[in-house]
Amino acid sequence: MEEASALFTIGPVEVSSVVVTSWIIIALLALLCWLATRNMKDVPGPLQCAAEMAVEGMENFIAGTLGKEKARKYFPIFGTFFVFIIVSNYSGLLPGAGQIAGFAVPTACLSVTAALAVIAFCTTHTLGVRERGLGHYLKSFLKPFALMLPLTLIEQLIRPLSLALRLFGNLYGEETVTHELYNIFPILLPLVMNVLSLLFCMIQAMVFTLLLSIYVAEATETEE
Amino acid sequence: MTSGMIALAIGVMMGLCVFGTAIGQGMVASKTMDAMARQPEMAGKLQTAMILAMALQEALTIYGLLIAFMLVGRI
Repeated sequence: MEEASALFTIGPVEVSSVVVTSWIIIALLALLCWLATRNMKDVPGPLQCAAEMAVEGMENFIAGTLGKEKARKYFPIFGTFFVFIIVSNYSGLLPGAGQIAGFAVPTACLSVTAALAVIAFCTTHTLGVRERGLGHYLKSFLKPFALMLPLTLIEQLIRPLSLALRLFGNLYGEETVTHELYNIFPILLPLVMNVLSLLFCMIQAMVFTLLLSIYVAEATETEE
Repeated sequence: MTSGMIALAIGVMMGLCVFGTAIGQGMVASKTMDAMARQPEMAGKLQTAMILAMALQEALTIYGLLIAFMLVGRI
């Protein structure tokens, strides 16, 4: 796809605009979290109140698939994924995304989504092993009957691939369509796609987190 | 000649690609509406399930879209 051109290099590592934007997003999020939790009070200020609402909303959302107890236990993973993805998705709506050097939508780059998917894959299996023990976890692959093993393995390997491609395809598609609309008629026409993006960006972040939580729920379910 | 064929292929492929997903998503939406009308108290859960099912189908179209972009680059 789009060749990620290097902005500058640090030693042998090339730094592209996608990387710079992800760093900025991470720094902004960290700053926001620090500000929101700096001096917590029983009667919260506006920022702490907003942060509490966001955390509670996300936790309830995850609890729908994972159950209350595990949702609380593993909340940091899902919260991080959701917040990072949704902020990077929405960064595409800012003017100049993809045009200015050093500013490109991170999730519209296959490397970023692939990295997210690989983290999700490792997380799922690590939690599975930790929750059930290695022996039990490996045995669960033979669960319905042993002949299904190849199919189960393929399914496990396809999951990160589809997670990465879904997120990348949606965001890249949106970016490209907006750009094409801009080429057709620059005034107001790209706005149509931007309004749709408002919805889609949110849904894609939701879907990624939801699928991950389902995978984790499946990996960590303990038999009675 | 070749670029013409590629352009034609993109058009045909995206058409077919969207066709199946459109039918599938329509079915998901209509059945969910049925279920919501029957049991309005389940609406929240159904909505999550509907979005999930739609996202899984949409992934198939997205694969087609990616191939289309790749082909557009070759014209």
